[in-house]
Amino acid sequence: MTIKLTRGSYALPGTTLGYKTGTWRTQRPEHRHSSAPCHTACPAGEDPQAWLALLDEGKPREAWELLVSVNPMPAITGRVCPHPCESGCNRGQYDEPLAIHSVERFLGDEAIAKDWTYPVTAPPVQAPHVAVIGAGPAGLTAAYHLLRQGLQVTVFDKLAEAGGTLFTIPDYRMPREIVRAEIGRLLATGIVFKPNHELGRDLHLRELQQDYAAVFLAPGAMKSTEWNVDGVTPNDLHDGLHLLKRWSDVASLPEMKSAAVIGGGNTAIDIARILKRNGVDTHIVIHSSLPDPDNPAADDMRAIPREIQQALEEGVRIHDHHGVKRLILRGEKLSGIEIVRMRKLPDNKGRLHRVAFEGTESILHVDQVIPAIGQKIDPTGMERLLTGSSHFKVSERGQLAGNGNLYAGGDAIEGNGGTVTEAVGNGRVAAEAIAAALRQEKLPAITAPEPISFESLNMEYFEPARREEQDILPVQERVGEAEIEHGLSPLQAAHEANRCFACGNCLRCDNCWTLCPDSAVLKTQELASDGSFYVFDYDYCKGCGLCAIECPTGYIAIASE
Amino acid sequence: MSTDKQTITTDSLVKLRKNQPRFEGIESGHRACLGCGEALAARLVTEAAGPDVMIANATGCLEIFTTPWPESAWRLPWMHSLFENTGAIAAGMEAALKAQGKPTKVLAFGGDGGTFDIGFQALSGMLERGHNVLYVCFDNEAYMNTGIQRSSSTPHAAMTTTSPPGSDRMGKRHLKKDILSIVAAHHIPYAATTSVAYPSDLRKKIRRAMEIEGPTFIQIHSPCPLGWGHDGEYSIKVARLAVQTGLFPIIELERQEMIGSMPIRHPRPVTDYLGLQQRFRHLFNKDDARAVEELAHIQALADHNIKHYDLRGDGMDRLDSDGADTVRRGGMRWA
Repeated sequence: MTIKLTRGSYALPGTTLGYKTGTWRTQRPEHRHSSAPCHTACPAGEDPQAWLALLDEGKPREAWELLVSVNPMPAITGRVCPHPCESGCNRGQYDEPLAIHSVERFLGDEAIAKDWTYPVTAPPVQAPHVAVIGAGPAGLTAAYHLLRQGLQVTVFDKLAEAGGTLFTIPDYRMPREIVRAEIGRLLATGIVFKPNHELGRDLHLRELQQDYAAVFLAPGAMKSTEWNVDGVTPNDLHDGLHLLKRWSDVASLPEMKSAAVIGGGNTAIDIARILKRNGVDTHIVIHSSLPDPDNPAADDMRAIPREIQQALEEGVRIHDHHGVKRLILRGEKLSGIEIVRMRKLPDNKGRLHRVAFEGTESILHVDQVIPAIGQKIDPTGMERLLTGSSHFKVSERGQLAGNGNLYAGGDAIEGNGGTVTEAVGNGRVAAEAIAAALRQEKLPAITAPEPISFESLNMEYFEPARREEQDILPVQERVGEAEIEHGLSPLQAAHEANRCFACGNCLRCDNCWTLCPDSAVLKTQELASDGSFYVFDYDYCKGCGLCAIECPTGYIAIASE
Repeated sequence: MSTDKQTITTDSLVKLRKNQPRFEGIESGHRACLGCGEALAARLVTEAAGPDVMIANATGCLEIFTTPWPESAWRLPWMHSLFENTGAIAAGMEAALKAQGKPTKVLAFGGDGGTFDIGFQALSGMLERGHNVLYVCFDNEAYMNTGIQRSSSTPHAAMTTTSPPGSDRMGKRHLKKDILSIVAAHHIPYAATTSVAYPSDLRKKIRRAMEIEGPTFIQIHSPCPLGWGHDGEYSIKVARLAVQTGLFPIIELERQEMIGSMPIRHPRPVTDYLGLQQRFRHLFNKDDARAVEELAHIQALADHNIKHYDLRGDGMDRLDSDGADTVRRGGMRWA
């Protein structure tokens, strides 16, 4: 159609929209979702940036629901997890990493305070039934996820109360009322809990395997590794785990003025700090080294660095690179130990072994020596699964080799670092594997996605912002059971959520929409199908790539055509 | 890492385009080059100015790429003027609207050639007569439309087709004209510089000028990937560095008095800016003493700007050269 304008001139009606500049393009922008480093680092499998995003949008409850769709005990892990997510956080290369663990704890505490219900629906009555042995972090997480997968589940524990190893963590860092509150709410989602059921006494593995569609074993590692020095022990020897349990159950400790704790794991640190709080002059003797946060090494003590730091602040003396050479006994009572400097050194074949250096011996005058050198499974009732090994060997999805419907997780499996968060991750992964096996589906191999790098982000669009730290009791007030770290306020939690870079995900910041010289980025009202709030109009996109360079979060990639 | 393919139909894209939550005076389909700073700047201006405007547009890239006959990318009343008479045309439009009692604001658009050089007389007359026109100069520092010839806006030592570096010269011999001071010397109510790298600043200044009754002038630094010799994807990065080095000061003048500036938080060395652009590549020959001297000269020009306009920031400022482009979840920054 032509329109007569004036004599001698005419024009076709229409805008340049009729001309598709997209035909010029040799490359195209695409939304590319990458895993944030906090996600790939989390042993439980959480995607913190995703729930931080919801919190940043002012939706704490939705944030919590997303969090517990992976990890059902955020109030607990928010307190005790060594938070590798924060070590991975890209923001650490800009100013300071996000205080992810503090926000996790905040959400967990909010859920308890406001009684938010877990996103679980009751399984159908004819659903297959799975048995879980052990009501610790791994067992309870598995039970919760089995329920979420539409299966019925019964959890057995030999103790009267659910919680397992969580009750050996001292109150000052993991208050038992929080453990009880979170686990109580978790059990109330529909998990059948049978306390006082001990494997080998009340239950038998073969019967369980016959009566239930699958069995998840999470007995923990609640037996101390034996310890002696050249076959000698004092007659009143107490190991660290035993003392922690005793303190937890009846709040009493044997009479002592000074003690040497042997070992550098969390049990050693926990019992040392409890002893110190009870006025005992406490030493830790450990052949590995104190961690240097700037220079982590393979030989570092295994305990969480933050806990080691707090123990030192509280006056626990740590003799790193030392070993016990001799017990000094008076009769069968201890009066001291002889310690010696040691190092791990390679021999001629390059194998590392410990060397004690002659002439570096010294005496520690202590009246108790408390070994905390490792824990293993109590094999009662599971002897046939543990021939020749102290821990279960399982596949990456938690299946016990050669044992059909048996799965295991938590401290009882080989290769775990002994953290609650790893146990949570084991429980979830195994639950998914069990559900898939019962549906006769095959799960793909677990792949570890490459996290998006700091260099892929555009720092021009962010501002430095101070990390919110939890208030911590000053050393002189850390005397009783009182929790030493306080939670974040809602405002502080919101501030932290706002600091998140949303690495590899759409921040909905409008940058691409604002900066496209060709108006080829369109904003959507609802979430677009690919998880962003924008779509590319390839009819007009010339493929300049400006949006990809200027995307703050590395969410836009350029693909050649 | 997974690439998410969008699943949206052409029909719903068309519908979506019609329902964008902003006013766009320029449609897609215009023929600007990839990563064109001027196309972006012009769209941002129309977005902030709104639909109740009329435009007089000098000859130049913007005029060419928006109106390939018989189409137009403009969704506003728009008139093509000559290179030299945009000021006069805009003044006439304003006078006609005034006579009809219509409140529609007249905008005049020109490139640096049409503003600094060829249309300068008409601009000066328009300013002197006090017409209620907002004159926007899209400054890409050369005659890009006709093949990258030097203008009086081309910065010192830049290579253009008419200021090639060689045995006698290291690019343009002369300095960039200080058009803002000249314009402000007409004692107009408002004259300001801004940059496409800071859309919030740009839109804020357009809105401010729109509210003023009388002649106002805004100079927008708009990279030209072809003329400056950088990839289109770096247009914003280059524009931002021009500000962060101090080579393009972001300032506001009212009746010749400086009333505001964008502080520079961490001044960057000019080589960060120059090194991204082919038009300055002859300055990076370390064996040529003239190149070394010119780099020092350009750094001195930047330092002079920072001192003269007092641009050095005092700590962290929300609206300084690092803070003014901060993003937030939900797009809160682009006011």
